[in-house]
Amino acid sequence: MAQLIEFPVKAATRAGHALAEPLRAAWPSHSVDDYGRDPYLISALAPFTKLRWSVTVGGTHHLPANKGALLVCNSRRYSLSAVYAALALSEETERPVRFVGRPDIAPFGPFMRRIGGLLAKPADVLSALSHNELVLVAAEGTSHPRNAGKVPHELVGPAVVAGVPVFPVATMSSTIGRAARVEVGPAVRARRKRRGPLAEVELADQVQHHIQRMLDGFGGVQTGVAPIDWLAEG
Amino acid sequence: MGGELGSLVAAKLEAEPWVGALVGIDVDPPRRRLRKAEFHLLQPSQRERIVDVVTKFNPHVVINLSVWEPDARAGLAHARKFTADAATAIIGAAAECPSLEGMVVRSGIEVYGRERNAATRPTESAPMHPTSEYGLMLANVEHQAREVGKRVGIAVGKLRLAPVLGKHVPSPLGRLLRQPVVPFSLFADSPFAVIEDGDAARAFVLAAARRLDEPLNIVAPGAITTLQAIMRGRRVPLPMVGPEWYVASKLSHVLGAPIPDHVVELMHRGRLADGAKALQVLGFSPALSTPEVIDHLYAWESVVRIGSIQEAVA
Repeated sequence: MAQLIEFPVKAATRAGHALAEPLRAAWPSHSVDDYGRDPYLISALAPFTKLRWSVTVGGTHHLPANKGALLVCNSRRYSLSAVYAALALSEETERPVRFVGRPDIAPFGPFMRRIGGLLAKPADVLSALSHNELVLVAAEGTSHPRNAGKVPHELVGPAVVAGVPVFPVATMSSTIGRAARVEVGPAVRARRKRRGPLAEVELADQVQHHIQRMLDGFGGVQTGVAPIDWLAEG
Repeated sequence: MGGELGSLVAAKLEAEPWVGALVGIDVDPPRRRLRKAEFHLLQPSQRERIVDVVTKFNPHVVINLSVWEPDARAGLAHARKFTADAATAIIGAAAECPSLEGMVVRSGIEVYGRERNAATRPTESAPMHPTSEYGLMLANVEHQAREVGKRVGIAVGKLRLAPVLGKHVPSPLGRLLRQPVVPFSLFADSPFAVIEDGDAARAFVLAAARRLDEPLNIVAPGAITTLQAIMRGRRVPLPMVGPEWYVASKLSHVLGAPIPDHVVELMHRGRLADGAKALQVLGFSPALSTPEVIDHLYAWESVVRIGSIQEAVA
């Protein structure tokens, strides 16, 4: 009779338990949702994100309680406004807010996916919106903090297709300070009914206009020292 | 009908009131006791015999499950050949049956591919861009079925299954996850979804009953990453960064759990799909979520000692 050579499963399992037990105790073994967002990781990172941004959130009463919506925010270059706005809005609304614009290359892509990032592709945005998710898209980055950049109409299109409202979100943050502000405005309604792609192009323009008005309403920097305020205005 | 999924589908079909007679073909005998079904042990290369059996039976519905996942029951070269042969013979034979109303073929969410900037959770309308050998094989099966459907004018349903896992399902992913030491991608531990074999079988029965005529994703709700699956199974996680994947896959092959390219792709790039349409079209809702399927996979004993069973019986 042939002898059965067995891998020392018991020894390996014991070693596995010893190695993995601390990790298992520290991290839940199921924490990602259908899109790969990991609320547990987000809450673990919260102290670090709060070290960088202290965000004041307003206007969340405009957002639907459990339906899908597209949020569009302005973005100062390299400010990661979509990231901090999505995290702050998630905390405030107690609903996952997914931001659009994660790269698709390791290690940044998978990490940003775990904190709620979606690809800047209409298919990804439509998929999330049709499952009643809140999705935040950033307008084109600008060098001036109070200028709203062009809103990408190809990412607004999925909201038109899914029939969900679009909300303007004004964001303001400092390159050196922690203070940041996120303000959600009322839903933007299309001025004219369109059957074709003009619907999203016009809606995107309207959203940009609304964000700009909200940013103007924020006012300029007021440090009390006029030259500094003047310099901060760019 | 000889594989785990085929046997399950046959057993479920036998219980359906709308099913009269049932004929199955496979290279392995059925794994379950089938009361009504007639079984033919045939190789995929025996095209003449397959055509003979199918045309003589003249079915109303054909379900083609004859897809060999690479490194599940056969290596890549054999899997590719068996799948192509079986698809040609069965789909071709089905086209010769005058009573045929519909055909349901097994496909997989591997057909969407995971190239850069591919949709995170593709719906059925996403374009097919397979980026693995298995994905290409499945896309070919779909293509053949679609062409035959157009030519003969029958309904062709394509069920794109997430990786099928179950206690007895031969699956390279399942086998790898059940190894004592399991590699995972440290910098790209991406989420994936799976489906339990029983749920997949139920979807085939529903699709056949309704004469499905479109592609549908069959995916369990929820997602899990490789590291999380390893932790659920209490295995030793082995972090991998890049080049050592080659060594790990070779070592794993020697240890009896080869890692084909579509499994490496799943562990690096993730594999999710939107399964909402199956609920609308078929009323199909999986009984087990992805983490539950993973738990189910690990709930099976590695080795069942015959001695211990005899003692228990005595």
